[in-house]
Amino acid sequence: MNTIVDMKNLNKFYGSHHVLKDVDLSVSRGEVVVVIGASGSGKSTLIRCVNGLEMYQNGSLLVDGYQMPVEEDRLLGGEKELVAIRKGVGMVFQQFNLFPHKTVVENITIAPMRVRKKSKDEAEATALKLLERVGLKAHAYKYPGQLSGGQQQRVAIARSLAMEPHLMLFDEPTSALDPEMIGEVLDVMRELAADGMTMMIVTHEMGFAREVADRIVYIDQGAILEIGKPDEFFDNPKNDRARSFLARVLKH
Amino acid sequence: MIARSLTWSRHNLFGKPFDVLLSLTVIPGTLWLIYQAVAWAVGMAQWDIIPQSLRVLMIGIFPADQAWRSWVAVAIIAALLGAALGCVFAFRTRHAGFLALVLAILVSMTGVNTLAALTAVLVIFASAWILTSYVPMSRRVLIPASFTGLIAIFAVMSPPGAGLWGGLLLSVLLTLVTAVLSLPIGVLLAFGRRSRFSSLRMISTAYIEVMRSVPLILVVYWIWILMPVLTPELNLADVVRGMVGFTLFYSAYVAEYVRSGLQAVPRGQTEAARSLGMSEFDINRSIVLPQALRVVVPPLVGNVLDIFNAAPLVFIIGLTDFLRAGQMILANPQYGNRTYEVYSFLFFTYFLVGSLITFVARKLEAHLARGSR
Ligand SMILES: Nc1ncnc2c1ncn2[C@@H]1O[C@H](COP(=O)(O)OP(=O)(O)OP(=O)(O)O)[C@@H](O)[C@H]1O
Ligand SMILES: [Mg+2]
Repeated sequence: MNTIVDMKNLNKFYGSHHVLKDVDLSVSRGEVVVVIGASGSGKSTLIRCVNGLEMYQNGSLLVDGYQMPVEEDRLLGGEKELVAIRKGVGMVFQQFNLFPHKTVVENITIAPMRVRKKSKDEAEATALKLLERVGLKAHAYKYPGQLSGGQQQRVAIARSLAMEPHLMLFDEPTSALDPEMIGEVLDVMRELAADGMTMMIVTHEMGFAREVADRIVYIDQGAILEIGKPDEFFDNPKNDRARSFLARVLKH
Repeated sequence: MIARSLTWSRHNLFGKPFDVLLSLTVIPGTLWLIYQAVAWAVGMAQWDIIPQSLRVLMIGIFPADQAWRSWVAVAIIAALLGAALGCVFAFRTRHAGFLALVLAILVSMTGVNTLAALTAVLVIFASAWILTSYVPMSRRVLIPASFTGLIAIFAVMSPPGAGLWGGLLLSVLLTLVTAVLSLPIGVLLAFGRRSRFSSLRMISTAYIEVMRSVPLILVVYWIWILMPVLTPELNLADVVRGMVGFTLFYSAYVAEYVRSGLQAVPRGQTEAARSLGMSEFDINRSIVLPQALRVVVPPLVGNVLDIFNAAPLVFIIGLTDFLRAGQMILANPQYGNRTYEVYSFLFFTYFLVGSLITFVARKLEAHLARGSR
């Protein structure tokens, strides 16, 4: 029960391209796992499998107590678990993906109202509280296009939190931001981690990774090559390729 | 000022030898044509035929003592158009002056006995425009209101017999009904075409492709001869069968416009909504469709113009639209020598309506481009 994500022998193909190779990974509740690796190594694919945005072909994946169906079952219509899983798993994207035709508050309230059947008043009260938490209460009735990148990403985080997720997935949440805005988003994520939120994060911010992660997962060409505590991993990586990857990214 | 225009023409009209040659032939030629046309229009043309046959041009053979019914229909149309306009352009006081000008022109063309009715119609138009401009809540009822409005028009126009509908009013009604009904059907077809169920996908694709590869006139004729066979108990009027044909045909075109809009919505939008746990239906209705429609509003308005300009084709099933009504007047031997007057009137009315719709589409495009920033 303490495990929220359990991947066993998970394999994923794009046609004949083998993108995830026999991935084994389990995440406990309250844990912060940071996934790092070179571009094209399969980091996004890995965390997108967790909420079913990508389908996997074989192996097993348990999320929040539900078995994620494999591709074959999903194509045959077996998607009941998918809905249940997505209710409890939030996701934040590199490109924010806010709904541009809805105000900030509407962005945050639409899912609680439609999916959790909350009343408008209740959903809005929650939304305003969350906006206060990410420091954007003053922008509640603006449209996403009127906000800076960092502000948009904080709204996106609030939008996910409004569904009261048990697990949050972050796919390079700061990669599309100007340098001066990265800090404000990382601060919000730090607070989340301190509050005990379970998180799986893909990021290139190595300092941040070392600071918030309980474990670092290093992935290369679709296979997990090393999992370790941040200090051990960054100071003394056991895998050769992990070592040369770190040498490359930490040099500058 | 004169110097400026001289420089302008020196650069644009007499810049190169070929330009000079072209300008020297085209400009005098055009001026001569305009002179001839104006000389005819003010000197020789006998325009009295237009006011005399105005009723036929406007409502065809619809009985004169029932004309109030068509005024009610026009009022409803005015309300719907005004309300639609208010959703995108807010009413300003300067527009009131413009409307007064339109009223003056219309009255001067049709005679004072229509003053009261025309004023009422324009006041209704302006009120609906003001309502949706300043009461955003009222925009939500626009779609149900337009369906109710269309039904009301049918109800008020039907008693004398739907076979009697005609003239410009018929053309406008046909355009309006087709435009309003082909939108939901087109949206469904567009979604069908990218559905994950292959049977739905195939049916939608086949429908769209078939409709787009045959002429409108053929579809209209086919539907006209098929409907009595398929629904013998309904005994539908020619007008209704014509509207069905137009709607079925233009739905395919609307579907293609909407599909291009759907493709313009980034994948990330769907992914974000999915990861919030929203159902595919909710995602399509509240996230994807509104963004897609925004993109395709200008081409859809252009489509309305296409429908209006194609309306004369209903002569094939025996209806008397605006163009046909003009020909009917000329069939009267007493008016046989007024061909140019009647056709000029038809030409300018079509031109006026067409350029008005094009103008609105342009404005809309600019408006939406500004809004999406
Ligand atoms: N839709 C797709 N079709 C085919 N191949 C894909 C698709 N999406 C990703 N891939 C391939 O899968 C592999 C893993 O991609 P993924 O996006 O997971 O990498 P990543 O580690 O997130 O890289 P980045 O740091 O650039 O985001 C890459 O080789 C990529 O080319
Ligand atoms: Mg990626």
